[in-house]
Amino acid sequence: MAATRRLQKELGDIRNSGLKSFRDIQVDETNILTWQGLIVPDNPPYNKGAFKIEINFPAEYPFKPPKINFKTKIYHPNIDEKGQVCLPIISAENWKPATKTEQVIQALVALVNEPEPEHPLRGDLAEEYLKDKKKFAKNAEDYTKKHSEKRPAD
Amino acid sequence: MSFLINALKNFLHRMFQVLSLGKKTITNSLSIYVKHIGGRTLAVELDPTWDIKNLKEVVAPKLGLEPNEVKIIFAGKELGDEIKIEECDLGQKSVLHAVKIAKKTKLPQLNDGSFIEENEDLNSSKPLSETLDDSMFSHEDSSSSSAIIDKENSQSEASTSKSKVHFYVFCPTCKEMKSGKIRVRCHFCKSGAFTVHSEPQNWHDVLITKQITGTCENSPESCANVLSNREPTFAEFYFKCSEHTSLGEEDGAVPLDLIRPNLRDVPCLACADVCDPVLVFPCTEGHVTCLDCFRQYCITRLTERQFWQHPELGYTLACPAGCPDSFIKEVHHFRLLSEAQYAQYQRFGTEEFVLRSGGVLCPQPGCGMGILVDPGCNKVACINGCGYVFCRLCLQGYHIGDCRPADYDSNSNSEGCLYNVDPGRALEARWDEASRVTIKSSTKPCPKCRTPTERDGGCMHMVCTRAGCKFEWCWVCQTPWTRDCMGSHWFG
Repeated sequence: MAATRRLQKELGDIRNSGLKSFRDIQVDETNILTWQGLIVPDNPPYNKGAFKIEINFPAEYPFKPPKINFKTKIYHPNIDEKGQVCLPIISAENWKPATKTEQVIQALVALVNEPEPEHPLRGDLAEEYLKDKKKFAKNAEDYTKKHSEKRPAD
Repeated sequence: MSFLINALKNFLHRMFQVLSLGKKTITNSLSIYVKHIGGRTLAVELDPTWDIKNLKEVVAPKLGLEPNEVKIIFAGKELGDEIKIEECDLGQKSVLHAVKIAKKTKLPQLNDGSFIEENEDLNSSKPLSETLDDSMFSHEDSSSSSAIIDKENSQSEASTSKSKVHFYVFCPTCKEMKSGKIRVRCHFCKSGAFTVHSEPQNWHDVLITKQITGTCENSPESCANVLSNREPTFAEFYFKCSEHTSLGEEDGAVPLDLIRPNLRDVPCLACADVCDPVLVFPCTEGHVTCLDCFRQYCITRLTERQFWQHPELGYTLACPAGCPDSFIKEVHHFRLLSEAQYAQYQRFGTEEFVLRSGGVLCPQPGCGMGILVDPGCNKVACINGCGYVFCRLCLQGYHIGDCRPADYDSNSNSEGCLYNVDPGRALEARWDEASRVTIKSSTKPCPKCRTPTERDGGCMHMVCTRAGCKFEWCWVCQTPWTRDCMGSHWFG
C-alpha cells in the first residue's frame, strides 16, 4: 500500500519533469509495480538509438530496491546479454528508501553514457573498452544501429 | 481521645456541608484516590469542573486538617487553588497526594512581597500537562525547540500558541500503542508526593535519570539522609496509559519517544504522505516515516533478517536512510507490529543472540531451542528443550567419527522396522522434501555463516546479506573472494 501511494506520486513527478533521456513511460493501470520506458542516451556510440527498459518494483518498495532490465539488446560492459544491469544505487547494500526513481533513472542514463569497466557485468566488453576503445566504439555503434529502438523525433 | 472525637465531629459536619452543597453539581463524576502522607488513602468522587480549593475542602476534613493546611501534589507539581480538576490530565482512579503544609511557610508579611510570591506560586502550580508542549518534545535537544506552529494559533485559544503535549506509550495492559500521560515520583523512595524544582524541557530530561531535582514530600529527611546530602533528591519521570482506567500506581507504560505529533507536516520518507503522528528516527536529520511505513520497514527488514543485534540496545533497526548512529534505542517501538510479527521479532532476536554468542539452535523441527555450548565439544544435548542430542558440526543426530554427507539417508533404519519400504520411494515421499531439494539445489551456503544463498545473476563475487556477516566469498570456490578468483573466473 505504501508502494502504490509512493509510486503514484513518483510517476506523476517524473511525467511532469519532462526528462529528455527517459521517455514513453508506460504503466499498466492494474499494476503500478511495473514500468516501461525508453532510455535515450546522449553520448556516442549509444546516441544512435534508444533502449527499452523495464523497472520492476517489489511489493515492499521503497524498503526494497527496484530491479531494472533492458528489453533492448545493448553492447555495454555493465549490461549483460539477459538485460541485467549492475547499478550500485539499487543494490541491496546501497539502497535507501528515500532514493527516488528519478535519481535511479538518472544514474542509469549516466552509466549508459559513461560505461564503468572497473565494475563490469561482461568481462569481454570491459576488456575491449579498456584495450581498444576504437574497436569498442565501432562494435557498439554497429550493434546499436542493428538492435536499438528508434529515437523519438524531438 | 477528645481530639479524635472532635475531628470526627468536624469531619461529619464538613461532609454534610459538602454533600448537600455538592450533590446538585456532580454531573460527570471522576473517582480518584487521595493519598495522605500518613499512609491513609481516601477514595473521592469529584466533579471535573471543581477547582483544587473545592477538593481541599472535601479532603482536609477527612484528614483532620483545615483546607488551607493542605497542599495537593500531582505529577510533580503542587496544584494551585484555582486550577480546575479537568485541566489536570486526571483519569479515573488517578492518585493525588495530600501533604500537610509545614509551619515555616507562613504567609509573607509585606504586601507587595506577598503579591509577587503569589504570582510565582500561580505559575509553578499549573499542572505539568498544561505547561509542557509538543514543540519541547519534538527535538533531541532543547536549543531548537523554539519553533512555534502558526496553525495551532487559529485552532486553539488565542492566548496559547503552543499545543498541549502529546505522549505516546506502549501500554502493557491494552497491548498496543496508546496516548500516554507523564507522571513524576521521587527517584529514591518512589513516592508520588514529590514536587519538581524545574520542568523537563525535552526528552533527555525525562528519559535520562537524575536530570531534574525536586523535593520529596513523603519523607524529606529520610530521602536526604539516605543520600547524606551527597546529591540532591531527583525526580523520576514515568508514564501511564491515558486510555484505560488506572489499575494503581504500578500500572505504568513505556514511553515511545520517537512517536511524535507531526507539528511540521513532514511527509513520510517512504510514501511521501503527511500523516500524524509520525515516527522520527534518532538520526541528526530526524528522518520521518508514517506508522504504516514504519511497520512495513520493520517487516521487510525482519523477514530478511536484517535487524541488528546491538550489544546494548538489543535487536533493533537504524534509520532507513542509512544514517550513522541512528539505532532505535527503545525496542518497545517494535510493539507497533502485530502480535505474530512481534513474536517473530522476539524469536529472531533470541536466535541471533545465541548465534552471536557462539551457540547453536536445536535442529529438531518445531524446537529451535538456543543452546550455548562449550567450545571444543561437538556433542550437544537440547536440555530443557526437546532432549534431542546432535552433532554441532553437521546438526544431524549425534554420532561418533566424521560427519556423513548430508544426502545420506539417515531415516532408513531397516533393522528396527517391521515394514520394508522401497528406499527409493521413501526418499521421494517426504514432507517438505520438494522445498528442501529446491533450496539445496539453488543455493550455496555462505562459507562463514552457512546461510543458504541464492545467486540470481551478476558476477561470482558474493557478499553475504545476513546482518552482521557481510562475508565476501566466491560462488565458484566457496571460499573467501581473492584476486585470483577475479582473474580466472570473475564472470564464471
